[in-house]
Amino acid sequence: MLEAHGLSKSFYGTPAVTDVSFRVESGEILGFLGPNGAGKTTTMRMITGFLTPTAGRVTLADVDLAENPILAKRSLGYLPETLALYPEMRVREYVAFRAELCGVARRDVKARVDEALGKCFVDDVAAKPIGNLSKGYRQRVGLAGALVHKPKVLVLDEPTVGLDPRQIVKVRALIRDLRKDHTILLSTHILPEVELVCDRILIIDKGRIVASGTPETLRHQMSQTPSVTVALKGEVPEADGVLRQLPGVAGASRIGAGGETRVILEGVPGTDLRESVFRESVLRGWTLLELTPREVSLEDVFVRLVSRDAAVESDTLPGALDPDATTPPQGTEVGA
Amino acid sequence: MRAFLAIVKREFFSYFVSPLGYLVLTSFLLVSGWVFMVLVGALNSPETPRMALMSTFFTNVFQWIFLMLVSAIIAMRLLTEERRSGSIETLLTAPVSEATVVSAKFAGAWCFFLFLFVPTALYPLLLSRFGGLDMGPVLAGYLGIALVGALFISAGTFASALTKNQIVAAILAFVLILGTFIIGVARDFLPFPGMRDALSYLNILEHMDDFSRGIVDTRRILYVVSTVVFFLFLSTRALEANKGR
Repeated sequence: MLEAHGLSKSFYGTPAVTDVSFRVESGEILGFLGPNGAGKTTTMRMITGFLTPTAGRVTLADVDLAENPILAKRSLGYLPETLALYPEMRVREYVAFRAELCGVARRDVKARVDEALGKCFVDDVAAKPIGNLSKGYRQRVGLAGALVHKPKVLVLDEPTVGLDPRQIVKVRALIRDLRKDHTILLSTHILPEVELVCDRILIIDKGRIVASGTPETLRHQMSQTPSVTVALKGEVPEADGVLRQLPGVAGASRIGAGGETRVILEGVPGTDLRESVFRESVLRGWTLLELTPREVSLEDVFVRLVSRDAAVESDTLPGALDPDATTPPQGTEVGA
Repeated sequence: MRAFLAIVKREFFSYFVSPLGYLVLTSFLLVSGWVFMVLVGALNSPETPRMALMSTFFTNVFQWIFLMLVSAIIAMRLLTEERRSGSIETLLTAPVSEATVVSAKFAGAWCFFLFLFVPTALYPLLLSRFGGLDMGPVLAGYLGIALVGALFISAGTFASALTKNQIVAAILAFVLILGTFIIGVARDFLPFPGMRDALSYLNILEHMDDFSRGIVDTRRILYVVSTVVFFLFLSTRALEANKGR
């Protein structure tokens, strides 16, 4: 439904996005995840035809964007990151304007506008000027404007940014609901959002795709290294040293203090450390307060993926870069 | 076409929800009303040579300087504001071309320019009650005004495509508009008769003089239309240039 092939963009010679390729299947919600400044918005702008890519091409509903921009953009609804509506217009007027802009037939405009206003829960403010609305309402008015012409593809750039928690819940529910009629590409830097809303995730960092897959596969890739949190009563200074010696332990690190000793253990893949930790504690007379296997969250995956380069840059001398850091991690599948 | 009309409509009505629109309307009415009053007053004095009042109304330089300023102000926010706020992103990702956006914005502003003159229709109506009035030259005069307005607004549209700052756009627009006005006046300072003839077609005062006497010269229409197209083409290119930076 939406395809990007080798998209690259440089601004005045500085690359912002490098060789980004992916496809979004019909009826799918793809989450585009990355830290601020990773190139999410630039990619979105290339997909929507607002920026011309330096290299690569975009296909919207099987129409090449560069070859036939007007036809391609007919199947596109776009909610930009910097939501700029016309504050002097009334909500209904604005959504009708967007419908006419996208070539909705005159006799259908009213019905389409009503439908879009209802879908986005903004029918109660239809007669108000946009300038008087709260940010949450404005965001939903923007969304109503983006989908009023029933586009096949919806591109939403940070749709929940600047909303209060209640509004975020509403907008997320709305997006999930929209998948019935639209293929959705959504960008965000908020992790729980992609886990809650998206079928598939694309992680982008420094203008490149560093991983892609369903939330489960990404988490699975990481959870192959099991991890356990151990809490012991009292100060046990030798704890991390001792636990590190246990079979199957790849690493141990102490965290926190204050009446108890907490150690995070990382095991080699395929081991369960809990039993050996328990036996060792009994043997040494430690009081075990807590022994929890750590669930690998998507956050861990994300932080690991996007912080590698930063860590390498600050820790090593120029010229001594870890060659591993620049190659994408295993399991990166683009376009799958 | 639907999209074009939608943008024209939005643009035109946006002047009526901004204080600037009413400021322009009011001050234009004051200035044109005052000019009309002075002219009627002059006609009452016996020393004044015989003249067609509406013709003088259309050609006096004072009113033209004011119209140049008004055009610059009408056009200054056209693309500037869209680019500053970011709403240009919505327009350019809609299924419309850059040329459609630019020409529709121009058309909306031009309609507002024309709207300024609606109340002045009262002046010829008033005059016709007190004496014979030849409607032909009056209508031609309005056509002339509409053409010059298009020229000014198109120059202003181009200025607004170049910057995100309305003040800069207004100053730039005024300079460009003044340029289109002055280029014809420069005729009097040129030594070569051939160039003088050529430049006299660019002279807006002569243009208005012709029209207000009822002479509708297609060469003058062609000059205005081609210059408008040229400025709109430049504006479109300026807008496209932002995409690929």
